Amino acid sequence: MAYSKELIDHYENPRNVGSMEDDAGDVGTGLVGAPACGDVMKLQIKVNPEGIIEDAKFKTFGCGSAIASSSLVTEWVKGKTVDEAGEIKNTDIAEELALPPVKIHCSVLAEDAIKAAIDDYKGKTGQTDTDAVGESQDAAE
Amino acid sequence: MNEVNAHSADAAKQTLKPCWSCKGPLAAGALFCSTCEAVQPPAPVDHFVRLGVERAFEVDVPALDRRYFDLQRQLHPDRFATKAPKEKALSQQQATALNDAYETLKDPLKRADYLVHLEGVGVLPEGCNLVQDQSILIEAMEMREKLMMADSMDTLNAIQRETKAEIDDVLTALSLAFKGADIEGACQLTTRLKYLDKMMGEVRQARARLLA
Repeated sequence: MAYSKELIDHYENPRNVGSMEDDAGDVGTGLVGAPACGDVMKLQIKVNPEGIIEDAKFKTFGCGSAIASSSLVTEWVKGKTVDEAGEIKNTDIAEELALPPVKIHCSVLAEDAIKAAIDDYKGKTGQTDTDAVGESQDAAE
Repeated sequence: MNEVNAHSADAAKQTLKPCWSCKGPLAAGALFCSTCEAVQPPAPVDHFVRLGVERAFEVDVPALDRRYFDLQRQLHPDRFATKAPKEKALSQQQATALNDAYETLKDPLKRADYLVHLEGVGVLPEGCNLVQDQSILIEAMEMREKLMMADSMDTLNAIQRETKAEIDDVLTALSLAFKGADIEGACQLTTRLKYLDKMMGEVRQARARLLA
C-alpha cells in the first residue's frame, strides 16, 4: 500500500512541532489519545484578541498518519477564527492525506485534538461551548 | 467469580447436544465425542471456559500452559492425517479457537482487556479504548518525552526499570479492582497499562537503535 506524497511530506517534515505555555490565557491545549495503538497527541492554539488563531503547535507520539494528521491541522487552523477551526472535519483531513481506511481513526484523533484545544481556550476565556468532542467518532464509522 | 464459573460448568454439563457424526449425546464444550471419538466444532464459550480456568484476572500461567499444550497435542494434525476432510477441518477450527484463547489469557494486558469486555459489556460498550482520565495522557506524554531525550544506555535502563515498576503496580491494582468487581476502575487501569506496554516497546526500540 502506497501512502500519498502529502502524507509522507507531513511525516518527514512535520510543521509546527513544539509546545506553548499551557497556563497562558490566550493558549488552548488539547490532549487526546488512542489507547488501542498507544498514541498520544497534544495540539495547542494561540488566539489573538481578534479571535484569530495566530499560532499552533503540536506534539504527537504515534504512527506516521497520526503525526501527519496533527501536522496538517496546525497548518490549517492558522489564520482561522476559533469557530472556523472548530468546523474542521476528520473527513477533510483523511481526504487531504489520502489516509487508508485503517488509518481513518488518526484523522479522528486530530479532529478531537483541535476541538479539545478550542474547548480549553473557550473555557479559559469564559465562553461556553457545547460541541461534543465525541461527535467526530460517528463521522469515522 | 466461583459462582459464575460453577454456573457455566453446570450449563456445559446440562446442555447435551447430539454429536454431528454419530448423533450420540455430547456435553457442550467437549473436544471429542465420548461415543464415536469424532472431533467436535468449537463451542461458543468464552476463553476461560475453553481453557478450563477460573474466570479471574489472576491466572495460574504454568497450569494454563499445561492445559493448552495438552489440548493442542490432542488436536495435532498428525492425529488427523487419515481422518475425513470434515474432521480435519474441525480439528483446525478447534486449534485456532484454542490459540485465540491462549494468546488472550497468557498476556496480562490482553487478559485485562478481555475480562473488562466480558464483565463490563453493559456499562462499557467501548471497552477500554476511550480515555476518561486526562492524567493517563499527561503521564504518557511525559514518559514519551523523557524517552525521546534519552541518549545513553544508562538512561534507557533507568527508564525501563521505572516503566517495569509502574507496570507491576498497575497489575497489582488491576488484580484488586477485578476482585472487588470494580469494572470501571479496572478499565482505567487497563487503559494505563496499554500506554505502559507501548512505552516498553518503544524503550526496546530505542535500545536497539542505540546499539546499532
